[in-house]
Amino acid sequence: MTRPPNENIPTVKLVVVGDGGVGKSAITIQFFQKLFVTDYDPTIEDSYLQHVEVDSQWCILDVLDTAGQEEFSAMREQYMRKGDGFLLVYSVTDKNSYENITHFHTQILRVKDRDTYPMLLVANKVDLVHLRKVTEEQGRDLAHRLGIPYIETSAKDPPLNIDATFHEVVRIIRNQPQNENDKRKKKKLPKFGRCILL
Amino acid sequence: MLLPTNSSPIGIQHELYHSVTEKTKFFASKCVNKSPAKEKSADSLRRSRFRFCVCTGPRKSNKKTVKWYVKQPTWRLWGEEKADGALYTVYLKKVRYHRPTRSLSSSHSDSDDEISHLEWETVRVRFVKAGTLKRLVEALSTDDGELETTYINVFLATYRSFSTPKEVLKLLLQRYTDLSETQSNGKPDPHEQHRKTLISALHVWLDSYPEDFKEPPNHSALRQLLHFCEEYLPSTELDAKVRHRIERYTRESQIDPLLAPPPAFAMRSGQPGWRVYKLPEVPVRHFAEQLTRMDVDLFKKLVPHQCLGAVWSRRDKSRSHEAATVLATVNQFNAVSFRVISSILVDPGLRFNDRAAIISTWIDIAQELRLIKNFSSLKSIISGLQSNPIYRLQKTWQSIPKEKIEMFDELARIFSEDNNQMTQRELLMREGTAKFADTFGENDKHLQKVFQKQNHHVANISFGTIPYLGTFLTDLTMIDTAIPDTIAEGLINFDKRRKEFEVLAQIKLLQGAANAYHFTEDSAFDRWFDTILVLDDREAYQLSCQIEPSSNANNSKTKRRSSGHQKNDSIASTSSSNSSQFYCDIDSTPSSPHNSLDRKLSPSQMSNSSSNSSLPSLDVSLNSSHSGSANNKLQVPHNNSGTLSTHSQKSQPDFYIIKVTYETDSVETDGIVLYKSIMLSNNERTPQVIRNSMYKLGLEGNPDQYTLAQVLPEKEMILPSNSNVYYAVNTQYNLNFILRPKRTEEKEVPAKNSKSKYKL
Repeated sequence: MTRPPNENIPTVKLVVVGDGGVGKSAITIQFFQKLFVTDYDPTIEDSYLQHVEVDSQWCILDVLDTAGQEEFSAMREQYMRKGDGFLLVYSVTDKNSYENITHFHTQILRVKDRDTYPMLLVANKVDLVHLRKVTEEQGRDLAHRLGIPYIETSAKDPPLNIDATFHEVVRIIRNQPQNENDKRKKKKLPKFGRCILL
Repeated sequence: MLLPTNSSPIGIQHELYHSVTEKTKFFASKCVNKSPAKEKSADSLRRSRFRFCVCTGPRKSNKKTVKWYVKQPTWRLWGEEKADGALYTVYLKKVRYHRPTRSLSSSHSDSDDEISHLEWETVRVRFVKAGTLKRLVEALSTDDGELETTYINVFLATYRSFSTPKEVLKLLLQRYTDLSETQSNGKPDPHEQHRKTLISALHVWLDSYPEDFKEPPNHSALRQLLHFCEEYLPSTELDAKVRHRIERYTRESQIDPLLAPPPAFAMRSGQPGWRVYKLPEVPVRHFAEQLTRMDVDLFKKLVPHQCLGAVWSRRDKSRSHEAATVLATVNQFNAVSFRVISSILVDPGLRFNDRAAIISTWIDIAQELRLIKNFSSLKSIISGLQSNPIYRLQKTWQSIPKEKIEMFDELARIFSEDNNQMTQRELLMREGTAKFADTFGENDKHLQKVFQKQNHHVANISFGTIPYLGTFLTDLTMIDTAIPDTIAEGLINFDKRRKEFEVLAQIKLLQGAANAYHFTEDSAFDRWFDTILVLDDREAYQLSCQIEPSSNANNSKTKRRSSGHQKNDSIASTSSSNSSQFYCDIDSTPSSPHNSLDRKLSPSQMSNSSSNSSLPSLDVSLNSSHSGSANNKLQVPHNNSGTLSTHSQKSQPDFYIIKVTYETDSVETDGIVLYKSIMLSNNERTPQVIRNSMYKLGLEGNPDQYTLAQVLPEKEMILPSNSNVYYAVNTQYNLNFILRPKRTEEKEVPAKNSKSKYKL
């Protein structure tokens, strides 16, 4: 079995955005908790960290999902700034959530001060066939307009494309054209380490 | 070992024995006054499970009248038990008996003989894991008819996610009626205690959740209750309470809200000579206090169960009133942020220096909010200053003094997302019910100074804490998503509700602490607040670009951040006088309902305070009116040994954090390797560490069947089967470990100090 090398694994910060109720949290939970269904604890420090191997390269996925805080609109840009890549999630059963994607997209580009940025359009809840309001065609059309890839997911058992979604964003981040500005762009707020001295 | 091996009257399977040992580790170690393996999450899970579980009481012979004391309770998981419509987790608990003293025995003389020669025995303790609504309501009184306050508190705080007040009331009254009808003539009423307990439950419910009964115009739930009282409990306390409640609600609804004078207006007009505030020259402390005053009002009114995932994050737009108090908090948060943003942008004619002065003032206000421990408005201001339209104003930021920027960075670090908001969580832990703020990170030199200055005049400072609600909302949303509502063919998963209650209890605790705030309303501030123009994010961005055009065309992307070489920061405190109060209080009351707050005790603190933690883990009731409880706690004196000085901690860590990966021969899981962080303290031996790792990784089975090895650059070092891992690890390298099942041929041979390398 392969396992991650000891050192120098790059950390990739993914931010999950989208309206409330589109199933963001289910996607995140499905990705992180599939092996540990009992005794879930959302408050521990490595709840949303995971080593992943994508195309034989390891990285640490650090996922920020602020599900439940959608309406604290004032802090959205603050956490967008931290992302290396984004999952723009809407529910195929909720037309509004689909229409709001453009807004998130614009906001991310503004915060990043760029014309393009690694993002993936995620059409969630495709298992709810009878409730579907947004077709695959409409989804692909939106993705095309935004210039980002499209994927359909379901976090219900059996999950559809959940791992693929996260892996795909990692690929998009890796494949983005290296921009001169990038190095300077990466200035983030200083990181806080683990506080073990308490 | 932690569990006495001779006390297994019931045949427990070998594997179970080990998982049980793990589960009881916390309790046992706490009682034998030994630092337990302090692995944060695992232990907190253990603890919280126990504390929040409903104990359905000893079910052995009828020992109701026996006075016994729990000296060294040792718990072991026995298994699950399915009864009609309910699923229980069953534990075996060893209880030691003390000879009753004379005073005690005088009131219980009948039981004297029965227990005089009994040293200890094992009792079964059942916790409701899941059940039908009917069974859950019945569990409000235990098998013995005792009032189980923890269970009641969890139930009342969370039942709205699986039922309605009406339905629960109906079942509760039905239960009472059923118990009354089975009375046998002549004999003492076997259900008297049960019925009494149901009445107590009604009292608790009426007192803690009055809004459940307020449904104008008829208040039908109260009417129903009144009807019940008339029939079964005339002229009792409950009867009187219900009548009084109906009267009061009826009176309240008669006052037409339109006739009441708008209070704000009345007060404002009464004040001669309004002060007019204009940024940047405003009294920053006063502003911080006024923002806090607004937040305190909202926070005290916050109904914790409206934060539940099933209510808040699953609500649809048509039912938004069900989470009205949460929404009000969110709106205030946004309102403050928007005011920060617009106050900086609204006058495009300002010079850089003037605009920089406004930003500086906001940073000063934020600093004061930190001192007052108002994390809601603090985050709101930080968010405003970090919003794109403000953040991108490079030239403006360059005109701000370096020290001010550094202070801002220190304040912003509190809300770092890193490690799942660990900084903020730790801070809340430490200061939640402390009197004043004094926690800062290693690199927070400015905050440190400010605290020192403040704490000079510490005598009459006492603040509550306003948390940033969003983190709780996300945690509750995640719990709601991760844990199913029903298990075992449709039974209501009550363990999920216990988990949710851990979060709700934290909120309630802080609400109680918020009573320590006393700021009088300044109507001039309200006026100022109301009159600030609010921009939407597009307008704000456009204004921002007008002030400093977008630099997208040229490549000058240098941001103002000058943070450069930041070390990892950690919160350390120099004060040992009060900062640990939060821990000690809680730790000394082991059955406090707020116990999820104490999950981050360090091993040393644990051992220091364990002397007084061997109190019997009988339940202390959560005050039904949550206002008082936290305040009272503040008064509890504690032994000063609770806090270590930063000093001693730095010189020699009491533990390491190690990362353990699990490796099997079986199928790979999608190329994903999971590691779990585990705390390794300095007295832990290999089997214990393996057990901790197994727990963390969700593995079951016998720890003897596994080996643990440290991953070193050239080889792996397999830990001998009984070494002290703390001293055995090679700290020159990363503390990465692999846990793997032993191969069959090795199971015979006890692992020696092998330095053999595993082939992959």
